[in-house]
Amino acid sequence: MNAIRGVPAVFRFEWKRTLTVPRMAWWVLLTMFPPVLLGMIRLSVGPLPQNNSEITAVVVFILCPGVVCMMGVFLWATPAISSELEGRSWVYLAVRPHGALAVLAGKYLVAVGWTLPAGLIAATLSVLIMYPDDLWHILWVETLLVVLSCVSYAAVFTLIGVLFPKRTMAIGVFYALLFEVILAMIPAVVNILTIQFRLRCLGVRWMNWDEQFSDDDPNAGPFQSYFGDETAWWHLGILLAMTAAMLIAAAAILRWREFTTSAETDA
Amino acid sequence: MTSIVELNNVTRLYGTVIGVNDISLTLPPGAYGLLGPNGAGKTTLLNLMTGQLSPTIGSVRMLGHTPRNNAKFLSHIGYLPGNEGLYSNVSAIDWVSYLAELQGYGRHEALDIAEEALKRVGMTQHMHRNIADYSRGMRQRTRLAQAIAHRPQLLILDEPFNGLDPIARHQIAELLRSWIAEGHSLILASHVLHEIESITRSFLLICGGRLLASGSTDDIHELLVDVPSEMRIKTDTPHRLAAVLLEEELVDSAGLDGDGIVVAATRTALKLYQFITDSVAAGRFEVTEVRSADDSLQEVFDSLMKIHRGEL
Repeated sequence: MNAIRGVPAVFRFEWKRTLTVPRMAWWVLLTMFPPVLLGMIRLSVGPLPQNNSEITAVVVFILCPGVVCMMGVFLWATPAISSELEGRSWVYLAVRPHGALAVLAGKYLVAVGWTLPAGLIAATLSVLIMYPDDLWHILWVETLLVVLSCVSYAAVFTLIGVLFPKRTMAIGVFYALLFEVILAMIPAVVNILTIQFRLRCLGVRWMNWDEQFSDDDPNAGPFQSYFGDETAWWHLGILLAMTAAMLIAAAAILRWREFTTSAETDA
Repeated sequence: MTSIVELNNVTRLYGTVIGVNDISLTLPPGAYGLLGPNGAGKTTLLNLMTGQLSPTIGSVRMLGHTPRNNAKFLSHIGYLPGNEGLYSNVSAIDWVSYLAELQGYGRHEALDIAEEALKRVGMTQHMHRNIADYSRGMRQRTRLAQAIAHRPQLLILDEPFNGLDPIARHQIAELLRSWIAEGHSLILASHVLHEIESITRSFLLICGGRLLASGSTDDIHELLVDVPSEMRIKTDTPHRLAAVLLEEELVDSAGLDGDGIVVAATRTALKLYQFITDSVAAGRFEVTEVRSADDSLQEVFDSLMKIHRGEL
């Protein structure tokens, strides 16, 4: 009961702490990066081809659920525990009933809550700048992908933060580059372990691009190895299960592990 | 009545380094000073007591509970860690009320008890300012406020007087005395004897990860009374006094240190004290000062360590 009561307390406290000029500046930078980039491209390229739905959906997917959301939750969720340990404030939280768990859940929600508006605004502005034919459909799909991206990447980085309380940020960057950028692009079994793969599959299905390929189509094979052949519900289910599993694992490790600060007043 | 602390052969290792070594202890409710030099293992012991660490060997029970990951136990304790660990960009009231909320209080109730606790430590005037602007003493008071806000059954403090000026020390000592008088239990760790003496007469002496002694100051003096100790006695007739002390076999050795001071090593300090008192009363000697040269805390610990090892 106290664990649940503590979560809004952590959320409120941490949210208030985010309202500083440097952190707001980061938020604005993150939010405006995709629309500014696309705006500059549009200005330099001139009018886009009439049927630009595919390119819009792909570019906005890479920039918003890909870069903005992953980057945003990386900045917030990864140091959730390590920042408390480094600042030696962890002990005050750990000696509260269910304090550690409440901090984990509260900070996870702050990471999602801080990044989600950035992702949504960035996606909306980006789609509007590209102004594709099926604007509302693309906007709807990108909105869903932004939400899922924030929720799932925040879980990954929260788990990394609990697993590696030292050099957390470096390990977070390493994970993002190796798994979510490199391995996710390899059409092999390993890419199904990445968040990027699930989001990509969901995007393709929700954009109805999978209907273009029948089973006897010669391009169906490569398509399936890159985008899977399961339904959208399957990918959604797997993504949410992965998210839940990572959060449960993080909570279990937090409970089991001894996080005493390295520098004690004595031995 | 449930013991506040029950340690059974508790050992905690950090790899191959021993933090605490085979400590067994049962404490009924009350106030206790955990005294030991820096590096003695006080913080490790407190970490075991607050459930942040598990013992490598042995068992820990606090207020009848196993402390590790025990929400029920944690709701009954207040803890002031030795490390500061404060956020700079929040105010004292925000921080203390936040921790009170984590303790299980509703938002408004948490604000009320945080205000009350900050008032009790003399921080009302400054509680809306950012902690970054606080002096060290103010930060220490704020830290104490978070520990007492929810009125815990057992208060555990690690070096609570660090960074406090003499006036603040006195105020905090007053606060802790009134806390004890209200019937709460207290464990106070410090490496400064008089800090603990100003709060409680019950001690736990720890050194090298071992519990060397426990009890009142009198108990500890009694324990040390037959330990070889050096006495410095100032008299008008040092040669005569030294000769008499040796003749009476009250000292193992005696020497002169100028200015009429006899430096004597004795194993029977109580007998020696009695002899000097009787002699002065009978007018045999004029003694103006008697002082133990071994009255520093480290000497006390060294002597206790020797007793512990069986060397004395």
